[in-house]
Amino acid sequence: MKETYETKIEQLRKIIEKIEDGNTGLDESIKLYEQGAALVKQCEILLTEAELKITTLSRDV
Amino acid sequence: MDWFNRPDVAAVPERAPLRVSELSAIIESLLDNPLLQDILVRGEVTNYTHHARGHRYFSLSEKGGGNTAAVIKCVMWRSDAERLSFIPSEGMEVIVTGTVRAYAPHGAYQLQVKEIHKAGLGEKFLLIEQWKRQLAAEGCFSLERKRCLPAFPVRVGVVTSETGAVIHDIRTVIGRRYPLEIIISPTAVQGEQAHREIAGAISRLAGMVDVVIVARGGGSFEDLFPFNHPDVVRAIVACPVPIVSAIGHEVDVTLSDLAADLRAATPSAAAELAVPDRLVLAARVQDLKEKLNVALQDRVAWAWDEISDLRDRLRPQKFCRKLEERKQNIADLSDRLERAFSNLLGRERLLLAEMKTALDSRNPLAVLARGYCVAEKSGTVVKSADAITKGDRMKIRFYDGSGQVIVEKVDHERNL
Repeated sequence: MKETYETKIEQLRKIIEKIEDGNTGLDESIKLYEQGAALVKQCEILLTEAELKITTLSRDV
Repeated sequence: MDWFNRPDVAAVPERAPLRVSELSAIIESLLDNPLLQDILVRGEVTNYTHHARGHRYFSLSEKGGGNTAAVIKCVMWRSDAERLSFIPSEGMEVIVTGTVRAYAPHGAYQLQVKEIHKAGLGEKFLLIEQWKRQLAAEGCFSLERKRCLPAFPVRVGVVTSETGAVIHDIRTVIGRRYPLEIIISPTAVQGEQAHREIAGAISRLAGMVDVVIVARGGGSFEDLFPFNHPDVVRAIVACPVPIVSAIGHEVDVTLSDLAADLRAATPSAAAELAVPDRLVLAARVQDLKEKLNVALQDRVAWAWDEISDLRDRLRPQKFCRKLEERKQNIADLSDRLERAFSNLLGRERLLLAEMKTALDSRNPLAVLARGYCVAEKSGTVVKSADAITKGDRMKIRFYDGSGQVIVEKVDHERNL
């Protein structure tokens, strides 16, 4: 899980709020939607491609 | 007494394999010894449990040099336990009376306790209490120090035995919820030097992970004892990232649990606290995706409304009505004008006709019809003979025509 997952989700929320806001133009809303759709895709990839990795440290230090 | 030369033992053939039950029988008979019957034993009560049927199970332990030197399992049947005047607690130093018996199905021996007498708090518990006060004074257990676990960790550190159920459970839970990188910092979890190893294993993870799980499976009070040691507690406090503890069973609370940022009931629960569930995360992403779609659909619908509104304003029905009204007004005015004009015209015609009649009645030409005529010279009516001379050309108008004449002779009345 990358740190960026959290920021991606946050960006996505902001984009949705912006589109819902009455002050955003249609052209800009469509651009924002495209960005949002890309973020959704990235988040889905982050979630599905996670892999378990096990490392064991040496006991003698 | 020479137990090994008792006839029944000697009767067993040399090297012949014993059945387990036979061995158990021998042990039982060996324990059937006055030295182990109706005896007094002093020790610390540990792992005391009150069974649902009323029986009490616990251990008696004895320390030697700060560590456990010996333990014996004890059972107190309900009939005896009912006579207890107090509830024995963990670490209580007691003196019990009872008899040692072998319990073949468990392959264990135990002390069947008849009576329990208080002998003061156990040394180990006193030690823990002393450590607890000291560490509390250092601020190791203060709530302000507790940190929140990261919502999205990248690497999870696990301090536990590298073998056994604990690490397996943690791996399984993390693998199921959110597979990520687990860094195992292996350590002994019991024994005389365990506290040093555990503290070292915690320190080693510094800078490598986002969250640490310190875990150990269930065990006796003695087994869990290293997790009370100040070395371990201080290592937990010094750890730069949050620590989740899961040591022993839920009822066992060690000083490590008190110092940890979060305490879990079991190692599996600790793993669940340490990583989010990706199914839940995926559902959240799905939810945001829906919201995004709805937001754009709403925005587009709004744009349609806006266009439709503007179109209406550009060619409004109201404006058309106004235009019609104006047209109607013009038509009305035009009618009124026409009517007014024609009335006026009518009146004028009537007046004109009246005037014509009046005029007709005064028409000089009407006189002509009676046989008179009018003489005109150069467009002027000749009213007097003085106005003419011989040779003048005149126009003689009759009622039905005229003629040109030349004056031949002028007679004046005075001359007649």
